[in-house]
Amino acid sequence: KWKGEGTTLNLESIVVGRCYDYIRIVNPAVGEKNCLEIWEAFKNAFIGKDPCSVLPKDYELFINLSFHTIPPNKSLFWENNRLLVNSFADRGHRYMSLADTLFGYVTDFLNWCGQANSTGLDYESCPTTEECENNPVESFWRMASITYAQHSSGVIHVLLNGSADGGAYPVPGFFADYEIPNLQRGKVSEIVIWVVDDIEGPD
Amino acid sequence: MPFQQGSARTRQRTVLLVGIAVLLAALVLAVVLASILTRREQEDGPKMLKWKDRGTTKNLQEVILGRCYNYVMARYPELRDKDCLKIWDSLKHAFIYKNPCNITSEDYQPLMELASHPIPCNKSLFWSKTNDLVHRYTKSNQNFLTLEDTLLGYMADRVSWCGDPSAPGINYESCPKRSECESNPGSVFWKMASKMFAEAACGVVQVMLNGSVEAGAFGSSSIFGSIEIFNLNPDKVSEVHIWLMHDIGGPQSESCLGHSIKRLKSILEARNFKITCEDNYR
Repeated sequence: KWKGEGTTLNLESIVVGRCYDYIRIVNPAVGEKNCLEIWEAFKNAFIGKDPCSVLPKDYELFINLSFHTIPPNKSLFWENNRLLVNSFADRGHRYMSLADTLFGYVTDFLNWCGQANSTGLDYESCPTTEECENNPVESFWRMASITYAQHSSGVIHVLLNGSADGGAYPVPGFFADYEIPNLQRGKVSEIVIWVVDDIEGPD
Repeated sequence: MPFQQGSARTRQRTVLLVGIAVLLAALVLAVVLASILTRREQEDGPKMLKWKDRGTTKNLQEVILGRCYNYVMARYPELRDKDCLKIWDSLKHAFIYKNPCNITSEDYQPLMELASHPIPCNKSLFWSKTNDLVHRYTKSNQNFLTLEDTLLGYMADRVSWCGDPSAPGINYESCPKRSECESNPGSVFWKMASKMFAEAACGVVQVMLNGSVEAGAFGSSSIFGSIEIFNLNPDKVSEVHIWLMHDIGGPQSESCLGHSIKRLKSILEARNFKITCEDNYR
């Protein structure tokens, strides 16, 4: 029916498990969180709805429940170099990228959508952003990116790919459309841009 | 004056009486509460054993299940037949309600069978004293697998667990250190998992050792030195490649020509493996 992959199998167990993994092992400094409540809030953002009508603000409760402060000078934004960012940030030890926050950690690499008039998840297919913008996954990352940018402070870093087709700074893009506009002038002191080329890639 | 004193005294007396009544009531309440609480404690039975290491990870079940599904669904879909609920159950029954100093390999046998999976040849990467570096390497180079990149190792990494004979059977406060007793749930688990990981290896295997360690890159008391090298199967494994790494800016305590490396080579050669060694493999 839709062109994109369906919901990840065992989504609930993975999200809840990752939530506890994060608060108990990855970053216990964030304190106690109610992972079951967090899952419910996440699910209710898109369950029972037409998967083309999910808005970023539908995830507001989820963000409120899973939110924690981002240490100053640790924000790392990026475009087109997901694997490099993952290993460079080192799970928050060096930097805390969006995927190293609780709200990004629980859903990274996962896929999900519901269907109108049904309490179930759609495991067959989900809409791509080309098919419709207001789909559950796209709206989630927009909301998460906005939140991440709004709460970043101090010196912030952005890692761009100098070997990418179309240039290192993609427009449109998450960084351009949802992160830059939400950086807080009073909180951010400096922006450091790193342009990195693929090993043996074009310059 | 005397009339006023009289009424003041009556008021004082009333206040005193009320005060005493309140105190008595509080005393009675305290006694009742104390007896209820101590009775509850007695009903709980004997307290749990106390140990020196950190206790079972809270929400162990959710963490293990989530990791199992995450590994199978998101990382290795070819393992889709793995039953994560059964796997969690078999882990739980390996230690729940048991004295954590009496754990045996039989306790873990069902878990090992359910969670083990074949490892492609030439991809096994062993390690000793290079925890950080070796795992950063396998995260970016998926051509190699450490034990912690297999389902068993992935689920158990950085997590701890132990049981206790008294309810609820899991000790979240503390667990035994190896120095307190060797047959504790964590040590027995990792010994068994390491043995199986070595047995499953085939083709060319790699090992990343630390040449900046004073005591020597290869130690016979390490898991690698005491279990893994002795469980490599000479009928399946042809060669062992040693990668001897030095800390950046750290001492070069040992190179491929070093003492402990020579010892490792002789042990492996005696078991008919070809050996190569490279300083600071890239």
